[in-house]
Amino acid sequence: MPNMVLPLLHNEITKMTRTKLPYFGLFSVFLICLLLSFTTTAWNDSDTLNAWGYVGLCMQCVFTDVGLIFIAVFCAMLIAEETGFGTARVVLSSPVLRWEFYTAKVLIGLLYMVVMFATALLLSILLGSLKFQFGNVADSAGIIYGAKEVLGNFLLALFLDMLPMSALVMYGVFISAVTKRSGQAIGLVIGSIILIETTKNFINIGPYVFTTYRGFSWSIFHYIAQGVDYQWFPEIWKMIVVSLIYCFVIFTAGLIIFAKRDLNG
Amino acid sequence: MVGFLGPNGAGKSTALYMASRLVRPSSGTIKIFGHDVWRDFKNAIRHVGTMVEMPSFYEYLSARKNLELIARLRGNSASSKIDEILERMRLFERRNDKVATYSHGMKQRLGLGMTLIGKPKLLILDEPTNGMDPEGTREILSFLREKIKNHGLAVFISSHLLYEVEEYCDRVFVINHGSLITSGKVREILAPHENVLQVTFHDKAVDTDYLLNEDGIELVESLSNNSVVITLKNRDAVWLNKLLLDRGYHVSALTPKQKTLKEFFLSVTGDENNA
Repeated sequence: MPNMVLPLLHNEITKMTRTKLPYFGLFSVFLICLLLSFTTTAWNDSDTLNAWGYVGLCMQCVFTDVGLIFIAVFCAMLIAEETGFGTARVVLSSPVLRWEFYTAKVLIGLLYMVVMFATALLLSILLGSLKFQFGNVADSAGIIYGAKEVLGNFLLALFLDMLPMSALVMYGVFISAVTKRSGQAIGLVIGSIILIETTKNFINIGPYVFTTYRGFSWSIFHYIAQGVDYQWFPEIWKMIVVSLIYCFVIFTAGLIIFAKRDLNG
Repeated sequence: MVGFLGPNGAGKSTALYMASRLVRPSSGTIKIFGHDVWRDFKNAIRHVGTMVEMPSFYEYLSARKNLELIARLRGNSASSKIDEILERMRLFERRNDKVATYSHGMKQRLGLGMTLIGKPKLLILDEPTNGMDPEGTREILSFLREKIKNHGLAVFISSHLLYEVEEYCDRVFVINHGSLITSGKVREILAPHENVLQVTFHDKAVDTDYLLNEDGIELVESLSNNSVVITLKNRDAVWLNKLLLDRGYHVSALTPKQKTLKEFFLSVTGDENNA
């Protein structure tokens, strides 16, 4: 029998395009980018302000708060909604294995995250190019970083920011797999993130929590865009390792729990 | 068509959940078409359409879209087939409406339509006519009958409506407390009693006490003023007919009493409340 992950993913895309939540998320990204295009000048040194700085700021703002919430909520609903309404039973009594179902849910979560990134990127580049200039980062004394170096760092920041966000996707789907209703799952995912964020520094676990690294790469890129000295390493290694460990552990735990779960009513 | 009966809480739905790999059995194995459901699920479920308890849908999608999603998983998403199912389930006119706007009966028909995707050889249905009006019930069951007759489909149906099972099923399985109590062919189970006769008199009521004094009569139950059920002991209908005529009774009808599935169910489960 063929692997059903792709047909399931196809179904997930069909469903995603017909629900409102993903569009609200994208609209909120648009609003943030638009608002920042008016307020960035008030926050930054006008001498070094450029389109890179604006795009970096947009990405950081989007994925530190609003984007994070929408991605977490979207992922938390993926399985819980289906078990709550009973549609998971319909799908899983077709020739579909639990791991295929779970993997397709993770993939649609990652796809939504990528769509959010792409939307934020396109909008911020579009709005940024209308008001500011892409190119070299320079001040009155001359060029600080060349356009190629800035672009390379920009792409690195983009890639690196996807790691903690991928861990967030895994976490959202995990919560979705262990709850029975979407309301429960949303409450648990948001509540637990708030709890972790407010307590992690008191108990000195901050560096070991993936949410600490959300927007982290953008904050470094922001320095570059402002022409300030920057250093990716060694902090970024910690971010990569922590994010990848969370991705693997949460994905595996969620999959095992979901595979063993009874789905009767 | 095979009926699956049992009192409330007997384990009917749980058994069907286990057959659909939604609940893990604590022991034992379940095989469908020779394939173990837990070891070789895809091959086991490949030719099976299931509807356990209430059918569920993506209510924000149309009926057609819901069927398309399932068809994609069953590798049979030809739109002509989907239209054919919608037509057969009398949902074609409203195929593009959101399922959220459907009535209970329409959802039940759509749920049944979903099980027909992918040319199944076996349907496992849990109370498929639950909440449907009598006409809809008859229509669905007749449709299944036609599928069985013309397409060689097998249907395993769990129902608490005994008359439904009595009328449409060929075999029944009865479970209670999670165990199989009995099974058999409906025709054999409902075969008329040879020694229990229903007698209708033409003009007057019978004196039951008087009849009980006769050697060959074990039990007399009064049904109405002029009708009784007589259980014979080592005697037959010819003997009874002669006896009654000799005693001056005018018998207008004397027939072997037909068994009902309800009687059979009660006799094997002893559960009056859930009949």
